[in-house]
Amino acid sequence: MAYIEMKQIVKKYGTTSVLKQINLDIEKGQLVTLLGPSGCGKSTLLRCLSGLEEVTSGKIFLDGQDITELEPRKREIGMVFQQYSLFPNMTVAQNVAFGLKLKKKSEGEIREKVKNILEIVGLSQQADRYPTQISGGQQQRAALARAIITEPKVLLLDEPLSAIDALLRRSLQNEIRRIQQELNITAVFVTHDQSEAMVMSDMIHLLYQGQIEQSAPPAEMYLHPKTRFAASFIGNYNIYTDVQFHQMTGLKLDREMLVFRPEAVMFCDPGRTEMNSYTMKGTIKSEIAHGNVLRYTVDVNGVPVNVDTLFQGEERYEKGQECYLKIAEKDCISY
Amino acid sequence: MKKKTKATTFLMVLIMAYLLLPLVVTIVYSLFQKWTDIVPEQFSLGSYVIILQDKEFLLCIVRTLAACVIPIGITVCIILLAMFVTTVYFPSLDKYVQIICMIPYTIQGVILSVSILSAYIRAGSFLGNRLVMLFGAYSVIIMPYIYQGIKNGMSAINVKVLTEAAEMLGAARMYAFFRIIVPNILSSIVVSALLAVGIIFGDYVLVRNLTGTSFQNMQIYLYQTMKSDSTKASAVFVIIMLITCLITAVTLYLKNKEREK
Repeated sequence: MAYIEMKQIVKKYGTTSVLKQINLDIEKGQLVTLLGPSGCGKSTLLRCLSGLEEVTSGKIFLDGQDITELEPRKREIGMVFQQYSLFPNMTVAQNVAFGLKLKKKSEGEIREKVKNILEIVGLSQQADRYPTQISGGQQQRAALARAIITEPKVLLLDEPLSAIDALLRRSLQNEIRRIQQELNITAVFVTHDQSEAMVMSDMIHLLYQGQIEQSAPPAEMYLHPKTRFAASFIGNYNIYTDVQFHQMTGLKLDREMLVFRPEAVMFCDPGRTEMNSYTMKGTIKSEIAHGNVLRYTVDVNGVPVNVDTLFQGEERYEKGQECYLKIAEKDCISY
Repeated sequence: MKKKTKATTFLMVLIMAYLLLPLVVTIVYSLFQKWTDIVPEQFSLGSYVIILQDKEFLLCIVRTLAACVIPIGITVCIILLAMFVTTVYFPSLDKYVQIICMIPYTIQGVILSVSILSAYIRAGSFLGNRLVMLFGAYSVIIMPYIYQGIKNGMSAINVKVLTEAAEMLGAARMYAFFRIIVPNILSSIVVSALLAVGIIFGDYVLVRNLTGTSFQNMQIYLYQTMKSDSTKASAVFVIIMLITCLITAVTLYLKNKEREK
């Protein structure tokens, strides 16, 4: 039996179904990500787990206990919100101590625990400051400390980094992961950012239109997307219909669709054919640098193909230059 | 451009003079002691000394303050509870609360007092007590100011998220509202309460119609003094004005403090 079990979860607003028969198991100590585009139901699913939203039907079990009808405050679940949700009239230390005070812990215990947790999240120096006196990143770390100090059974994180700049976000991603592993917390993380999900998760559940499209560990999800949507959402896959595939290679595809990753496509020598590979001739249409990756868009018989190579500054192709591409059959997925 | 600035300044001075002149004249008039010709011969603070030594006047201040504190306390409690329910449980009902709270804006004091009298004077219960009617009427007329003040304070913070965050930490919704939300809008509550104090301080119609002269507040005292001694009445007016200024100063101070926060 999994630590968290969500069975046949349905959530409707009026006649609109936001969650459609969702089944989800989460193991203890894992950091699981609910990933998907806006409006797919990931935050609603998280809120159902927290108790802030009531499910229309279905059951939720936590550590073997049915918590479906339980009030949020009785579920022993901690939550970090997207917006900075620190109480403005309290200092960082008072915010962090709030949950412990409600649990009627002794003053000495509260002081000790607050001190320890602020050290873990690196906010010891800001303990006496008010939320408006610290940065966005520090506010989210304080919110994290406040959520975990009560030692909840599960920690929920609802897009906690979406309002934070890219550089700080990367550092906080690592920090959240480190704290989660250090304290062995079971955590559910909601994000629409696939790279964030890849960095942080033990397991990704990809949601689409209120249903789980695919559940897999990050590498598996990236290398073997099970549906066209999964391929388009994870990893910028090249996606082609059978007609486009025939246009590119002159070969016939016995399935409806074929996808492959941009970094699986290689430039090769003219006229060279390889076993178990598709070769194509094309013209460079554009090149865009994404950090250390250089993305070429190659026109293959009227069909654009994205090709990712390492940006090393040498042997670059010019716009309009003729080139040959190859893609191994094993790197292609067809639906 | 320069001409435009000069014209604006001139206009401003003119308006200021128009507004301040009656005030200055009243202050000067309250200081007259002997007036034999066009200009007075002697100035004195005598009227102020007499008024401030008058126990009845001091009692009027106390009565007026009581007439402020009780209705404001009642209205703040009622509106806070109503807004707690609409914010946390029934957000769709907020517009009805707003309409109800804004209705007193449209009702004239005379109409309100006559309506209250005809509705409750023969009620036979405690509602027929004139003081209860007066405090009830005050609670109603200050509703728009209290409601709007609290509403503004609540829109400045994310009530929903803060309540949910407290709830996730183990707080009941009621506790979360009064322990987290109310302290964060306290300055807004105080500001709107001070505005309400200003309104009650200036009331004459309701207190006159509902209680006659049995509940003498500062406005009634002013009216009665005007009948006997106009110099003394001017001094009473100046004291009332100073108290109102003090209230306004406190209001502005709190508003600035809130903005800084």
